[in-house]
Amino acid sequence: MVRGWFHIAKAEFFVLTAGMRKHRYIYSGILYALALLWAVYLAPMIVVGLIDLIIPMAQLQGLLVIMLPGTMRTVMFFAWVLLLLFPLSYALNELKIGHWEIFLSNDVKTKDILVGTLMGKMPFYTLIVLMLAPLLMSPFLCALQVSLVGQVFVYLALTGMVLTVIWLSNWITALVQARLGDSSRGNDLAKAIGMIVAVVVIVPMYGIIYMLPAISEFLGMDAFLLFPSTWTADLISWLAITFNGVGLTGSQVIGFQTILHMDMVTNALLMTAFGVVSLAVALGTADRIFTISAGSRTEVITTVKAENAVIRGIRRLLPSATGVLLVSNLKDYLRKAQNLSKLAYGVVLAVLLPVFLSFVGSDAWQTMDEMTFFVVMMMAVVGSMPFAGQGFLESKDQLWIIQGAADGPSRFVKTRLVSSLLVVSPLIVIPAVVIGYLMHATLIEFLVVLGLGYLGLAGGTMVSIGVTARNPNYEDTKSPAHQTNMMLSVMIPQFSIMIWLFVDLFADMLFGIDVFGFYRSVFPSVSPFTIIGIQGVIGLLIIGGLLLLSGIRSLSKPEN
Amino acid sequence: MTRNGTVIRTQALTKTFGDICAVDDLSLEVKSGSRFGFLGPNGAGKTTTVRILSGLLRQTSGTAQVCGLNIDDDRNRIKAITGLLPESPGLYSKLSAVEFLEFIGALNNRNGDGLHRRIDNLLSILGLEGRQDDLLESYSSGMKQKVLVASTLLHEPKLVFLDEPTSRLDPAASALVKDLILVLAEETDTSFFICTHMTNFAEDVCDVIGILDSGSLVTLGSPEDIVETARVDDLEDAYLQIVGGKIDRKTLLAWR
Repeated sequence: MVRGWFHIAKAEFFVLTAGMRKHRYIYSGILYALALLWAVYLAPMIVVGLIDLIIPMAQLQGLLVIMLPGTMRTVMFFAWVLLLLFPLSYALNELKIGHWEIFLSNDVKTKDILVGTLMGKMPFYTLIVLMLAPLLMSPFLCALQVSLVGQVFVYLALTGMVLTVIWLSNWITALVQARLGDSSRGNDLAKAIGMIVAVVVIVPMYGIIYMLPAISEFLGMDAFLLFPSTWTADLISWLAITFNGVGLTGSQVIGFQTILHMDMVTNALLMTAFGVVSLAVALGTADRIFTISAGSRTEVITTVKAENAVIRGIRRLLPSATGVLLVSNLKDYLRKAQNLSKLAYGVVLAVLLPVFLSFVGSDAWQTMDEMTFFVVMMMAVVGSMPFAGQGFLESKDQLWIIQGAADGPSRFVKTRLVSSLLVVSPLIVIPAVVIGYLMHATLIEFLVVLGLGYLGLAGGTMVSIGVTARNPNYEDTKSPAHQTNMMLSVMIPQFSIMIWLFVDLFADMLFGIDVFGFYRSVFPSVSPFTIIGIQGVIGLLIIGGLLLLSGIRSLSKPEN
Repeated sequence: MTRNGTVIRTQALTKTFGDICAVDDLSLEVKSGSRFGFLGPNGAGKTTTVRILSGLLRQTSGTAQVCGLNIDDDRNRIKAITGLLPESPGLYSKLSAVEFLEFIGALNNRNGDGLHRRIDNLLSILGLEGRQDDLLESYSSGMKQKVLVASTLLHEPKLVFLDEPTSRLDPAASALVKDLILVLAEETDTSFFICTHMTNFAEDVCDVIGILDSGSLVTLGSPEDIVETARVDDLEDAYLQIVGGKIDRKTLLAWR
């Protein structure tokens, strides 16, 4: 009799391949055949060929051999974190536990749910490994001329790591989903966590990397050896060394031993033990995770309290129906935890990047004018990200309600824009103050960065609302509409601002027109970068305005 | 705003989605002040018809006037004087019932004390006064439906489109909505166009019934006339006779 996990895995596979419904098995087979061809033949040929074009492989061989252990450790560390976080963040954004209730009501064992879900996702992740791993491994395997058997072992070790991490991620995701449940409030919290999970983990991760030498000194050993990702990385390095075809000498192998510390068998045993322990812990705790009951979920009733001073002030300033729409939009937006995390995400990016740039010590981005231009570009993204895709309209039914009122979509989009601008307005102050302080800006320079930054912010907001209104994706973050909205909302503002820089550069390169010189002669006291920033912001506002109008038209017209 | 006492008039109204004909050559007249019941099986084209008449969907061919206004040219004016209760609740999860109704009122250019008084009264009639400040995310589907009913009536429309108004309501709430429709039609001359599966509800509330099957209007008349013509006891039996769907006991157990 076939176990329950198989049916769950099959259902997951059907969901995954829903796009190619009728011919899913044939198409999947073709896809795997192509992926294998890519991994075994095409990728090594292309990667090594490309490297050969830049530096001949013979010259690079020695360097690649030396780089192998360090590169493997770094890449495996990041791959480990990404594989753990990506599915978690993805699942939290689309919290659905309705099907768990179906499983449990059909007397399916909890272990089967975990195994089935993982096995259902395996074809997808295997495909990803087949596509991406050869890009990284080919130069090293080629440099060491690793035999076919060695290559098989290397990819097996890699697959083992991927399986273990996805199993762990699957278990953590299940744990978080079960705790947050499918309540509206839990969903909201999950989306908020999903948004910031990367920041929350990656920032301390950087900290750990910087502190590793100190930790190593304290422990009296290489602290990297404590990470499970290192065991896989070192195992791969050993496999490549053991099955090499370049004839490494005994002293060279001993050289590797001083870097890698533990031998191949120890690494393999540690890696296997970690996989077995993960498996045992997840299966052992499965029963406790999958207990779904109303009590354990966050079915909390939230009652709204008296309005705050800002809302009361808006009502006093705008006592009309427009004021009411504005207030409703503000409440709707700011009460969603996911929107607050998007705003926080934007601020962190806007502050951190200029700070990093001012510390890197390169020649670029070191003057206040250059930094102002950079802030305008950053603020355009900060202004667009919180309003792109998700969070505009919750459902198509909501759109029907708005469309049911005379001029409803037009009034909705306009008040949504004003409320969004009110929400993001304070965000320019933080980077402007940080940059102003770091760059010792004058009052005028500070006001310029504040003003231009705000216009960039407003332009980004206009673009993202316009783009999303043209093609609303509601709360569906897996839809192509969502991906398109996110991409366009970031790309259009960047392109609108950057285009002037490229126009000026190409004018100089192709036609010998010194645009920067022209700016200096006409506006001697203003930096060319500030002028490009102004041009970019004007272009962005025009494009944003046009997209908004187009969005209103699109939402207002009856469906065909 | 009616013409010759007719609130809805459609001529050969047709809507296709690719190869599927959702509404097929529908010609219909609904008198002002009447309570028109639109019955039909799932997928018969009821919701599509309502969406076309309320200006949300463009028809493939044919014409229609709503309150004397052409649906092709006067969509905004139609929306201003009609109300629509959609099939599924598209509420704002993070607004309370009062805040949501305030938002709907504002969309229809209403605000101030008059609107708030109306909101309080409607929520009180619908039995939501104790929960009016709770976020809508915590409401049951029946409570959400009540809020939607309130939002549909808030701006006193001349014509109200109700798409499955009682599908999520308990018997008491259904009776309340039924009474609300009857009293509004009698006292304020409001017209109702009601899509429903519930034959009992339609029989109690509607003075004219149209039965739609596969996009075509197959029966039109008063509930009594339809029952009499079908020579059955009630509207449900008449409906099953017209549309089909009655399955014998042997077939019902054949799947075992």
